Amino acid sequence: MTTVRKTIFGWLGIGLCLALMTGCGREPETVLKVLAGSELRDMTTVLHDLESETGIRLNLEYAGSLDGAERLAGGENVDLAWFSHGKYLSMLTGSRVAAQEKIMLSPVVLGVRESRARAWGWIDNPNLTWRDIAAKAASGELRYAMTDPTSSNTGFTALIGLASAFSGSGEALQPATIDTAALKSFFTGQALTAGSSGWLAERYVQEQDRLDGMINYESVLLGLNAGRQLREKLALIYPQEGIVTADYPLMLLNPAQRMAYQKVVDYLRTPDVQRRIMEQTRRRPAIATVRPDARFPDRLLVELPFPNSLQVIDQLLFAYLDEQRRPGHAVFVLDVSGSMKGEGIEQLKTALLNLAGADQSLSGRFARFRGRERITFLPFSSDVQPAQNFQVSDTAAEGKDMRAIREAVMELQIGGGTALFSALQRAYQIAGQAQATESNRYYSIVLMSDGESNEGLSEAEFLQWRQNLPEAAQRIRVFPVLFAAADDESMKRLAQATGGRVFDGRTESLSQVFKAIRGYQ
Amino acid sequence: MQRWLGPLLGVLLLGGIGIGIYFSAQEQQQLTQQQALERQQVTVRGVIGSEKEDFFHDARVIEALRQRGLSVAVEKAGSRQIASLPTLEQYDFAFPAGLPGAEKIRRERRALAVYTPFFTPMVIASWQPIAEILEHNDLARQNGAYYLLDMKKLIDLMNADKRWRDLDHSDAYPVGKSILVSSTDPRKSNSAAMYLALFSFVANGDEVVQNDEQICRIYPAFRDIFLRQGFTEYSSEAPFEDYQVMGMGKSPLVIIYESQFLQLAAQGRLRPEMVLLYPEPTVYTKHVLIAFTEVGQRLGEALETDPALRRLAVEYGFRNTDIAYFREFVSQHQAPVADTLVNVVEPPTYEAIEVMITSIEASLDRNRPDSFVHCDRRNP
Repeated sequence: MTTVRKTIFGWLGIGLCLALMTGCGREPETVLKVLAGSELRDMTTVLHDLESETGIRLNLEYAGSLDGAERLAGGENVDLAWFSHGKYLSMLTGSRVAAQEKIMLSPVVLGVRESRARAWGWIDNPNLTWRDIAAKAASGELRYAMTDPTSSNTGFTALIGLASAFSGSGEALQPATIDTAALKSFFTGQALTAGSSGWLAERYVQEQDRLDGMINYESVLLGLNAGRQLREKLALIYPQEGIVTADYPLMLLNPAQRMAYQKVVDYLRTPDVQRRIMEQTRRRPAIATVRPDARFPDRLLVELPFPNSLQVIDQLLFAYLDEQRRPGHAVFVLDVSGSMKGEGIEQLKTALLNLAGADQSLSGRFARFRGRERITFLPFSSDVQPAQNFQVSDTAAEGKDMRAIREAVMELQIGGGTALFSALQRAYQIAGQAQATESNRYYSIVLMSDGESNEGLSEAEFLQWRQNLPEAAQRIRVFPVLFAAADDESMKRLAQATGGRVFDGRTESLSQVFKAIRGYQ
Repeated sequence: MQRWLGPLLGVLLLGGIGIGIYFSAQEQQQLTQQQALERQQVTVRGVIGSEKEDFFHDARVIEALRQRGLSVAVEKAGSRQIASLPTLEQYDFAFPAGLPGAEKIRRERRALAVYTPFFTPMVIASWQPIAEILEHNDLARQNGAYYLLDMKKLIDLMNADKRWRDLDHSDAYPVGKSILVSSTDPRKSNSAAMYLALFSFVANGDEVVQNDEQICRIYPAFRDIFLRQGFTEYSSEAPFEDYQVMGMGKSPLVIIYESQFLQLAAQGRLRPEMVLLYPEPTVYTKHVLIAFTEVGQRLGEALETDPALRRLAVEYGFRNTDIAYFREFVSQHQAPVADTLVNVVEPPTYEAIEVMITSIEASLDRNRPDSFVHCDRRNP
């Protein structure tokens, strides 16, 4: 291109910028701070267009469902909140929500491998009920992935839908209508839990041969079906009793930003933008003038009522954790080497005490050790110390079980080297033995260390040894926590090899990290 | 927009006006009138129920108000929420839907004047298959383009905890959900309060509820029609939007303002399967403008008396004294709405409605005492 033409285009560009008064790489006129659900990462393109067309930038900070609700209820200073649904938030924060408008919709549904769904007669079957599905889960034929309802909105929404469907009452859930037996049989099929629906979908892809389905947003399931990662497509199941739909309300928390909020809402709800959102994210439009396209099943979607009381929801969540889900056995491999002295051991103790009833915040109460859960502490330095086992039957903070755990935490002593892989080997031996006698528990290992392994087994020796474990024991995941001088690469390899996930204890406190890991246990 | 743009544009505009004056004496006169009008413009700030937002955003309404020197800026809130806004008197006016909410404002705040520029009956938005099921079960009957719904029979079914699939001929909607009418949150929104007004009249043996004794007799039925719905939204827009977007699976029956349905019809956005049920009896929602300032008064007067504004209100589905134009508008859009309604009842007094809502509030928020808890038995 010649210089002259470049110049002409340059001037044209400037002219256009002046004519449109927005965009052109300029700084936004308004920046709004938004606390948002992590699944909204897929809105980046739309939000970029929003900024260039309205001059308003949304700065999204991601948070989990209860975590976000708790921060807002605690008065955190943000302009907007944007989660997959706002009902729990509205009830919790009351009048803090100055306005809210739905932006897009996605029901939370079950996706089942097509061959299974066909064999079971579930495809396009208008009479299929959640009870039929629960029966397949209880018989062991249906093994599915679902997120933890206290960490992630899909699990939360699914639990509310399931409880409403099983209540059989056809109206808002009441404490007396929660059918614990039905929920329990449904959750026997939960073969994978997670703290985030994104990670759940990734793991589903990795482990699709051993799983039969997944509960997730319709948008996520449609996305997987449209991609190439699945060897077998998922049939989307919309049972007769109904489902619960996430409606992504954009909520105004700072009334001083009402004008900007309204501009954002007006923009996002214009037909063109609604169509773009539908095309890009596979969520359904929130306005009636744009109809869902052919990708969405055209059938009657019965919407189940959402509870109107926080007490009912809390009760539902605790019943899930303490009574209905598969009980967990969590092994905590804890580095008490000399280098943990000072802040390290203090943070570790606080994090564990919080899980044993010391943290009475909303998210803390849901992250605590659960009824029926087994906990093993395996402290190590140069040697692997004796394992300490706890079985939680009384979940009260001042009950005997939680007190016993807190006492054990207080007695952790530091000193010595870091025989990390020997400790991990011991953890697998303990969990593996327990698994052989009690296969129904959900086993997991948290590995918390502040340095490189310098004694005992090497990483290679450990991985070699692990390959000879029974298949079920090999599926026990390790969740390493990066702390101080931990060996990041080695930890990542471990998470990768075991299907676990790395957590960063350097950018967040160990308390926050341990709380987040609870969603995966 | 950059801060300097406003003044700059202002300067450019004035420059343009200067050139205009220079070029044409006739134009000069017009522009002077224009300038005079601009100078007289006052901004009127108010809080309104969400159902009137589109009306105030209409370019023709903005122009008609500008002709009278008024530039109206509105914020929306649930009609009952408006009454409890701490800064309400800093606005020039409040324009909630419904007498009870307006009465609360009139009593608790310094109001200069009160206007009732338009009203609309409460109706139930539904679907053709649902209307047919109701007809088969002798709950509704077709009357031209719309249906009349027997509220007494519907309430009996609701109180008996019947579900949709329990009805005869329910093949088109074999759903296990209880038969309930979707509404807004009675603590926050007028349309739910109007539903309560309607329900209490019928449940009280076709008599306006007047005292605690009568309320006690219809407890907990008047409470349960809301509690059983589960979570409800704060503003009348939301359930009607759910009706349009999520369809019959979410909302077989939704109580709305007739104006909402008529507006949709006028926009050509009614789908063939959407039908309107008129409850028998029904109640009117009066839209009451409470002026706190002199400019608020000017707006109230304009809405009540300006023929152009009255016609525009009709175009947003509201009824007012211009009955001829309402008829013309309805027939022009072939909207399935009733011409006149015979069976219309009065809502209970502000106090009676408040007493019932307080009881519902107590059930939702267990920290509050419910003064009717001793009445706990099924409605006869």
